[in-house]
Amino acid sequence: MPASRASPSILQAERVSVRFGGLRAVDDVSFRLECGKILGLIGPNGAGKTTLFNALTGYVPLSSGRVTYLGSDVSRSPPFERTRKGMGRTFQIERPFEGLTVLENVLIPAFLRFPGRGDAEAWAGECLERVGLADRRKQLSSELNLARRRRLELAKALAVKPRVLFLDEIMAGLNPPALTEMIEFVLSLTLDGTAILMVEHIMQAVVELSDHIIVLAFGKKIAEGTPEVVTSSPLVIEAYLGGVDDA
Amino acid sequence: MRIINFSHGDFVVIGMYTAIVLYTQLGWDPLLSLLVALPLGFLLGVVLERLILSRLVDVPEGSTLLATLGLSLVVQNTLMLSFGASPRSLNVAYGSATVNLGPMTLSVIQLVAGGIVLVVIAGLYLFLNYTERGQAVRATSQNRLGAELVGINTRSVHSLVFGVGVALSVAAGIILIPQLFVTPVITGPVFTLKAFVVTVLGGLGNVWGAIGGGLLLGVVEVLGAAYISFDYRDAYGLVAFLLILLLRPEGLFGRTVKRV
Amino acid sequence: MKRFSGSLAQLALFIAVGLALPLLPGTNFSLLITLLLFIGLATSWDILGGWTGQTSLGHAAFVGIGAYALALGTNRLGLDAISAVQLGVGVAVLFALLWGSLTFGLRGSYFTLSTIAIAEILRLAAINEAWFTGGSAGLFISSLPEPFGLDLFERRVEYYLALVYAASVLACVMWFASGRFGYEMRAVREDEAAAQASGINPTRIKLRAFALSGALTALGGGVYGAYLSFLDPHNLFFLPLSVQIALTAIIGGRGTVWGPALGATLLILPAELFRSVFAEANLLIYGLLILIVTLFVPRGLIGELERYLLRRRYAREQG
Repeated sequence: MPASRASPSILQAERVSVRFGGLRAVDDVSFRLECGKILGLIGPNGAGKTTLFNALTGYVPLSSGRVTYLGSDVSRSPPFERTRKGMGRTFQIERPFEGLTVLENVLIPAFLRFPGRGDAEAWAGECLERVGLADRRKQLSSELNLARRRRLELAKALAVKPRVLFLDEIMAGLNPPALTEMIEFVLSLTLDGTAILMVEHIMQAVVELSDHIIVLAFGKKIAEGTPEVVTSSPLVIEAYLGGVDDA
Repeated sequence: MRIINFSHGDFVVIGMYTAIVLYTQLGWDPLLSLLVALPLGFLLGVVLERLILSRLVDVPEGSTLLATLGLSLVVQNTLMLSFGASPRSLNVAYGSATVNLGPMTLSVIQLVAGGIVLVVIAGLYLFLNYTERGQAVRATSQNRLGAELVGINTRSVHSLVFGVGVALSVAAGIILIPQLFVTPVITGPVFTLKAFVVTVLGGLGNVWGAIGGGLLLGVVEVLGAAYISFDYRDAYGLVAFLLILLLRPEGLFGRTVKRV
Repeated sequence: MKRFSGSLAQLALFIAVGLALPLLPGTNFSLLITLLLFIGLATSWDILGGWTGQTSLGHAAFVGIGAYALALGTNRLGLDAISAVQLGVGVAVLFALLWGSLTFGLRGSYFTLSTIAIAEILRLAAINEAWFTGGSAGLFISSLPEPFGLDLFERRVEYYLALVYAASVLACVMWFASGRFGYEMRAVREDEAAAQASGINPTRIKLRAFALSGALTALGGGVYGAYLSFLDPHNLFFLPLSVQIALTAIIGGRGTVWGPALGATLLILPAELFRSVFAEANLLIYGLLILIVTLFVPRGLIGELERYLLRRRYAREQG
């Protein structure tokens, strides 16, 4: 994308690889993410999307390569340090702090930016407002339904005031109206310059949202480009239809 | 089965008291008691698993550990109230008989115990590797959800395993009592602790590891007592236990588990 | 700050009852001292075991450290009582940090097993290093310096010390419960990966909780030592004491302010009563209680109550 090269890059992956024993789960993947942009990460099951995602956020160690965030190398930083620097994430399988209420769940990441209880609570409330969970603040988080748990995940990720947001399949399992709502919401997040990297299976969401898409298969980047380019690439269609051999 | 059983040693103690009662009341030889106690121990284990452990799903972590701790206190103190705190033993005619094997002198009971242990090991090995039930046990231990997906009744596997565990503990108590003294409260934890050390040394869920761990614990304790200080005999096993836990949580003989 | 003033009122009530009890005729000081000590000890345990979710069955080690520091510090090192207790607390903190940094890599039950082993090794050391600790025979505290002219062997003085101790531990827990540290601990207990995504360093929170928990337990050990005046390593460092402390907190409700205190009241008072009725049965009752609690009230009495109240309040607000 030569046109946008001028805008500041917030996250950069250089030749990132993750190996488990002999298996190359992520193999030599590079990309660059700019402020206010959305990068979609797609690929068939087992392509290494989630592994790459976890490697970028620090939950899985890199075997080689480098991850740079705002110009500093974070390849060896533990997850909590990346969060503190402004890399927020959601979990594919929602992980609310089960014994706590919805508000308390968001309070915990809010403390990172507001050490005092009063300020933290106000900020947590604001985040819940944004995701539309304000009326649920006193409910036990374990009692939320799937769509609301998703939104709670988002509120928690927003509470750390991320400059780059990692969204792991937040659209999966949503019904059509909820999906449309979520797509609009994610789009609104980029207005203040927040960059987003999303792993997603729902093609509609990826195509509508992404500025740039990376396609993974067997850990390798097999295609990238704008949604139009990627969806018409024969390689991608083949990968999704299961035509790719182990080679 | 990844259940840390705090009452393990107390079942050994139950076996010991069973042997004592059957001998003093009915005049049964421990080896005869064994035949009766094995199925009863198995039943006891199955009942306890059904009544207590199987209910502990979706509860805070460490609940099974606490429940077996509670069970342990109940067993110990029931025995204490029934038999009193004084040490008891069992004298059988062959209790002090020995056999000379070249330069070694072995007591008959140790030989019998060793023989039974070999039979049990062989039995477990055959069961786990060559029967359908045994393979169900191994599958459940490796991946409970996966086992359920291929149609294994993991509930009955858990009962079976706990039953076998209790039966073997009771049997161990019966075999060992002519050699040892038993008290209701102290003896159980000693066996429990040794069992923890042995299994952690060998790697949890690994029968061969447990055998290696058992041998190693014996060697460590005896060597430590002989060359460092006898006073700390019990500590060597614990130190070894900690070191293994910290350095190689999968056990000395366990395979490295890869997380993906 | 409404939350905090509410708990201040509860604490004030607790202290008021504590001050009023000795005014009643025929006060059984020994019973009340034991009760207050166990309230403090169980509440201290709960900082690590309940709030942070790391079940320790080795806390007797900290009680032992506190008690032996008082005895050895005053009688062998010539310290005054307060410095000796401070020494015990300091040793406990260092010991907790070392212990935690070694074992916090272990998960769940493995951590618990390692605490048993470490406390057991310490007990063997206390028994075998007789030149320093008095060994298996135990250690008599024959004389204690009198800080502020207080005779530490007098039951009434010990009672007020125990009251101050229990109230301070409760105040400490109340102070962090609604603040940042309290929530960081709960986040670590619920899910370490998710805690990291909230910017929390789980190891650091666990170490801090362990150090605080160990320090407060050792402080209680100091008071306990003065109360016992005879230190027996078979009791002070041994597993049953660790189990009793943990159990007290678990029955009342892990990770709640008043749970451990309620647990102590429910366990100590009847245990003292049962002791005279049938001497050996109280451990049997403990065992049955553990089984009942883990099967039917897994979150402890206050824990289940809080959950119920939260649910009800939410349901009412919804109409």
